[in-house]
Amino acid sequence: MRALRLAVRQRAARIALAVLGVVVLLMITGEWLAPYDPLHQDTTAILAGPSAEHWLGTDYVGRDVLSRLLAGSRLSVIAAAEAVGLGLLLGVLPGLASVYVGRVFEWLSLRVMDGLMALPFIIFAIAVAALLGNGLHQAMFAVGVLMAPSFYRVTRAAAIGLRQAQYVEAATLFGATRWRVVRTHVWQKVLPTVVVTTATAMAGALLVVSSLTFLGIGVQPPAPTWGGMLASDLGYLTQRPFGPVAPALLIIVTVAALNALADAMTVDPATTQEAPDALRR
Amino acid sequence: MRTRTLTTVLAALLLLAGCAGETTPTSQDATAAGGSLTWGWHLPSTWDPVTSTVGQDVHALSLAYAALTKQDVDGNAVPALAEGWEYNATGDEVTFTLRDGLTFTDGTPLDAEAVKASLLRGRDAPDSTIGAQLGVVTDIRVDSPTEVTLLLNQPDYQIPLLLSGKTGMIVSPTAVETDVAGLATQPAGAGPFALDEYVPASHATLHKNEDYWDADAILVDDFELRVPPDPTVAVAGIQSGQFDVAVIPPAQLEAARAAGLEVDVIDVFTVRVLDVNNTVEPFDDPLVTQAISHAIDRQELVDVAFFGEGDPNWQPFPRDYLAWNDELDQLYPFDQDRARELLAQAGYPDGVAVTLTTQAENDPLAELLQQQLQEVGIDVTLEVATPGANNYVTRQYPFVVDSFSGRESPLQSLEVLFGPEGLMNLGRNAPPEIQQAIDVARSTPLDDPGYEQAVQDAVAAAVTTMPNTFLFTWPRIFARDPSVQGLEHYIGTQRFEGVTVGR
Repeated sequence: MRALRLAVRQRAARIALAVLGVVVLLMITGEWLAPYDPLHQDTTAILAGPSAEHWLGTDYVGRDVLSRLLAGSRLSVIAAAEAVGLGLLLGVLPGLASVYVGRVFEWLSLRVMDGLMALPFIIFAIAVAALLGNGLHQAMFAVGVLMAPSFYRVTRAAAIGLRQAQYVEAATLFGATRWRVVRTHVWQKVLPTVVVTTATAMAGALLVVSSLTFLGIGVQPPAPTWGGMLASDLGYLTQRPFGPVAPALLIIVTVAALNALADAMTVDPATTQEAPDALRR
Repeated sequence: MRTRTLTTVLAALLLLAGCAGETTPTSQDATAAGGSLTWGWHLPSTWDPVTSTVGQDVHALSLAYAALTKQDVDGNAVPALAEGWEYNATGDEVTFTLRDGLTFTDGTPLDAEAVKASLLRGRDAPDSTIGAQLGVVTDIRVDSPTEVTLLLNQPDYQIPLLLSGKTGMIVSPTAVETDVAGLATQPAGAGPFALDEYVPASHATLHKNEDYWDADAILVDDFELRVPPDPTVAVAGIQSGQFDVAVIPPAQLEAARAAGLEVDVIDVFTVRVLDVNNTVEPFDDPLVTQAISHAIDRQELVDVAFFGEGDPNWQPFPRDYLAWNDELDQLYPFDQDRARELLAQAGYPDGVAVTLTTQAENDPLAELLQQQLQEVGIDVTLEVATPGANNYVTRQYPFVVDSFSGRESPLQSLEVLFGPEGLMNLGRNAPPEIQQAIDVARSTPLDDPGYEQAVQDAVAAAVTTMPNTFLFTWPRIFARDPSVQGLEHYIGTQRFEGVTVGR
């Protein structure tokens, strides 16, 4: 994780990591931190504004918004992580294999990835939900499959460049097996690129998960998610004009932190090593 | 709006220049009072009434098509293309007398032969969705160019009501012969408006049909049907002139009023209901469905989920409609102790687990129901239906949050809900007493003093024996610019006779 180590030297990355740390903390402890049962309805106090009892007010059936936001962190982040994990698996391995296995696999995998890239996220997710049932795992399966081409492309691009590297050729000449070459010489160089892509993809996945739950695909009610809360709050802008602010802010801040981290990691390590202060404006 | 009118006038002038000698009635009055009306409402699934698959298509289709009869504001059948009708003594033949000089918008004469061809296509076309309703018609006899008689397989005085909706919309035989598939995008009727442009999922623009039988009552020259605005921007859409009239959810009522818009809360046929499949456990025990009904605080549902708009209800029709049965009001009042008792009697003293399917996430109605049922020991798991799933056909979900919009004939409504083949009868079974009661009402003339009671008896026979759980009436809410005047409150299909726009 040299890229991450180097990135940490930058202030933006440190702030991003701190924000993500808080998000992870919320993910783990959100349910316990919630002041109320996030599913408890109080129909005598619907769409209430912020108060000492309900810091962020109540929603359309009188549930405490703060509790739902805290409790919803886990599901929102896990869903995004699930999609990214599947994308990694389906993208990185074929990406490496396309360079080292052979022309037939290369041609086939390229065509499959081209086909997947042509599919729009939302439509594909709806189709998958129609086929496999409307649930979180089904929706994340769809998102993960469509994320695979991003990982495939960046992995393949990095691996192709390394195939002709002198030390790789030297290792081959010394009799290293293809597996050893990939594991020892290629993977370590590809990894930083994959990590950066993962951070960006995670941000994208959070947005897609939010969009899908916004559209009613994925999470089953009444489980809270950030996207679902944003969608429901938009329907009651007259009564709670500030309603969408809290879930939207959480989504924005988390996505921004992931993007900032990814940006920091893409900075050339050499430059960072030589002039780290120059980047700390 | 003004730009659109000018564009329309210019287009009409260009058309006139290109078609010298032809008359274009709409262009002559394009600058007259009336102007253009934009309605935020759902576009139809098709512009062919015979193959339409969505009940609410009737509103859009009635812009382009006229039927033999139409519904008045209270849902009664009144003359339309037919200026009158008469039954024979036994009630199994009904003769409609058409108005003179009727034509379709494609120029084809609308006579008795055209009516016969259109209704027979509705009954017999393989892709017809109205075939079942016309199954009672054994044959159609043309008595003269303006007289057509429907021969029925049983006495049925509901025909004028039945024909006031999609079932009775008359389609041009020329269009059917030349391009029947084209009807999906290009209607060929004799309605108040003729279609100019249709962009699926976006809008349809129409102009006034000067040959419409009641053209004098149509006071706008141009009509635009646009997909309803997102609720969050509906009010802004009307204020900015994007819409003149638009359907809005109850949550937007306050905003619409605050913005100075006129709001029409219209009591219509629609009611919210839980569809229940009584062949699936635990719903196969009527005690369970009664317990569910007792456990529901309908007033809370109305107050919380619909901001007080609607009335708690235990039957499929709104109060004030002739089929409303007063004795069914409070049929299963909110009583949690009674609900627990019934559950215990049904063999579930410790409660029972069920899955309730809803059409959308963030459905306050489903979430409230979940909590209410849980309080009496019914453990509800909510499930969002798979997008595109047609549960009326697949019946994969046994317990569903739904709504029901009554049909033109109250007996047709009962058959849809409770008939052994009724779409919303998920169990596809019904005690024979229901059909017997429906048949008694069907064979009672509409002007018979006993008609209303016969219909209400049929409603009681169905509601007290079937599992469908009615919740509350669901009004249709329009917000409109104050310059839109004359909008009548129709219990069924919304019509635009007498409507004017001032801006």
